[in-house]
Amino acid sequence: MKYWKYMIFAVCVLVAISLPKFLGVYPLQMLNIIFIYMALAVSWDMLLRSGQMSLGVAGFCGIGGYTTVLCTINLGLNPLVSILIGALLAGLIALLVGYAVLHLRLLYFAIVTLAVTEIFRILVRNFDITGGPEGIILPNAIFKGDAAGTYWLMLAIAVFTIILSWVFQKTRIHFALTSTANDEIVAASSGLNIFKYLVIVFVITSAIQGMVGGAYAQIYGFVTPESSFSVNFVLLPVTMVLLGGSNSTWGPVIGAVLLSVIAEALKLVIPYGHLLVYGIIMIVAILWLPGGIYGIFKKIGAKAHN
Amino acid sequence: MRIKFLVGLLLAAFLTGLFIVAAPVQAADPIKIGAILPLGDATGKDGIRSMELAVDEINKKGGVLGRKLELIVIDDEMKPDKGAAALDKLATVDKVDVFVGGMSSGVTMALIPGMKKYGKVTVWIGGASGKIEQALEGQDWFFHLHTWDYQQIAIFNQGWDEIAAKYPNIKQQRQFSAYEEGPFGTNGFKATKGIIEAKKFVIQGEAFKSAALGGGDYRSVLRHAKEFNPDIFTWVGYDKDAIPMLEQAKEIGFAPAVYVGSPPAWPVDFAKSPLNEAVVFYSMWNEAIKNVSKPSKAYSDAFHKKFNDAPTTYFGPLAYTNIMIVANAIKKAGTVEKAALIKALEATSYDSPTGDKFVFGKSKFINHQAYASPKIMQWQKGKVVVIWPFNIATGKLLYPFPAWDKR
Repeated sequence: MKYWKYMIFAVCVLVAISLPKFLGVYPLQMLNIIFIYMALAVSWDMLLRSGQMSLGVAGFCGIGGYTTVLCTINLGLNPLVSILIGALLAGLIALLVGYAVLHLRLLYFAIVTLAVTEIFRILVRNFDITGGPEGIILPNAIFKGDAAGTYWLMLAIAVFTIILSWVFQKTRIHFALTSTANDEIVAASSGLNIFKYLVIVFVITSAIQGMVGGAYAQIYGFVTPESSFSVNFVLLPVTMVLLGGSNSTWGPVIGAVLLSVIAEALKLVIPYGHLLVYGIIMIVAILWLPGGIYGIFKKIGAKAHN
Repeated sequence: MRIKFLVGLLLAAFLTGLFIVAAPVQAADPIKIGAILPLGDATGKDGIRSMELAVDEINKKGGVLGRKLELIVIDDEMKPDKGAAALDKLATVDKVDVFVGGMSSGVTMALIPGMKKYGKVTVWIGGASGKIEQALEGQDWFFHLHTWDYQQIAIFNQGWDEIAAKYPNIKQQRQFSAYEEGPFGTNGFKATKGIIEAKKFVIQGEAFKSAALGGGDYRSVLRHAKEFNPDIFTWVGYDKDAIPMLEQAKEIGFAPAVYVGSPPAWPVDFAKSPLNEAVVFYSMWNEAIKNVSKPSKAYSDAFHKKFNDAPTTYFGPLAYTNIMIVANAIKKAGTVEKAALIKALEATSYDSPTGDKFVFGKSKFINHQAYASPKIMQWQKGKVVVIWPFNIATGKLLYPFPAWDKR
């Protein structure tokens, strides 16, 4: 029984890999969107487990997006390599920002990360090399827009993020940061280097967000200050975490799948009022499910175990 | 075991749902037109109603080629990824014959890879960024029904030149531009600056944060404008900026000779505001044009009759034009086959409710562009008067903008 979770996960991944053989372009495109927000939600939650809340997700997405487009256009780099460079640069900037601001806590830290987004958005809007306010359009989308190729790319990023989050939950860093979230003074007096661990997690999660932003830019073939640093990149993942359940790997995954599927299904069924219904569902779900959907699963599991 | 069952159930439900969505549709008899618009926005609301109006009118007359027109609309939610997914659905699930619609440049940019991949005939009313034009160079299936950003500015300046030539007392040598800090305002200012400086006039510009994006305090910009003492003051922003901008101009006593606002649409009750008198604005269309254009009157009357409401943005008549041009071309081609349809579209000559004749020509990078000419209008006694072009003018420019204490 110990390995059943891994077995289910492996089967799900195998099924997911084979889906392009059975699904059309539109469902694959929808799955791309799910994977984009899934990776962002899981990475956002990874930092949240330490008690720190980053609102800089859009900023790191934008940094990743612009880096990958500039590398592809100006240096002629392979799009996949340029996505990795985007992730690295996002991680590097997170390292510098983290060293400067990770001594701040809660809302103070959140506001600073939000400011980072705004600073980079203003910078790219004012430089010619980044295309100014109009941004840059790539001559070709990655894999020339092939639906299966882009699907596998986003699947790989989402699976990588999930595995990273999963493994991370079993590491010393996770336990240290969880104890920090519970009581920082006690954690520090136990000899834990809280600052170092926070910087590590902030860098890793920001690099993932940069990678997602890079993939987004390559899939849709463009970057603009407004789209690449869009507030949707932070608001949607946060909502997904709240709905699915925070402080876990599977909560954000469930939240991303449910919210994306509900949003699209509502749009097809109620073309003119879907956003209103969607908003009401989210408010009701968050009010009635304070621990998120995964919290309910955990409760059911605990009862079954007992 | 229950957890395993639940996980399996969820996975099965999710995958089944996707398979249902992905299931191929039956070959349909009607001619399918796939529209992508932001339905939560005033432009999308006007656009979709006007498209439905056009489709109803065509179908009441028996459709096209003996087949009904079917309009399939998907909301892009103003999100690039949702727009791209909408295009994929229209192409692969609904299997539409033509793509129409469009509004935001950001969404249109995300659609370009898909548009290129499908190569389907696309007659687009949105996306004014010149970057989009460059990206679609050489694509013979792409037809654009909107001015590119650089064209709009050039046309408005041509308008002021003609107005100044007709009324020599009107000056335009000193201009001040207050623009919202996004691409909409920034690009507009960049293009204006180039044109004004080429005419050896003086221009000064300053960005502001739009009320639509969390701003709303324009006092600093307005004070700088007042110190500059311009002949023409223009602000480029959104509908939410319109009234506070005027209130703050009144507060500091700033009344330039010409006060121009350039939002995509005016606030709903702007006509009732006592502040609106003599405010000049730019638009492709306003209901006032129905007084000088028969197609505009016919469209406007039909819209009122069907929806008991009035279109508030130029995207209404433009979307109506969008459908009519496509339907006429299909009729002319006698088929929806791509090459014949492109040829028929190229021969378009359509008197649009915008008050313009749409005939496709070349722009800088693409071969198929036709557009509603931007017009200069003015609020006078709560109503809109068309000032320029003179051939469709419904009144004269009220000049100068009256001082606030003399109203």
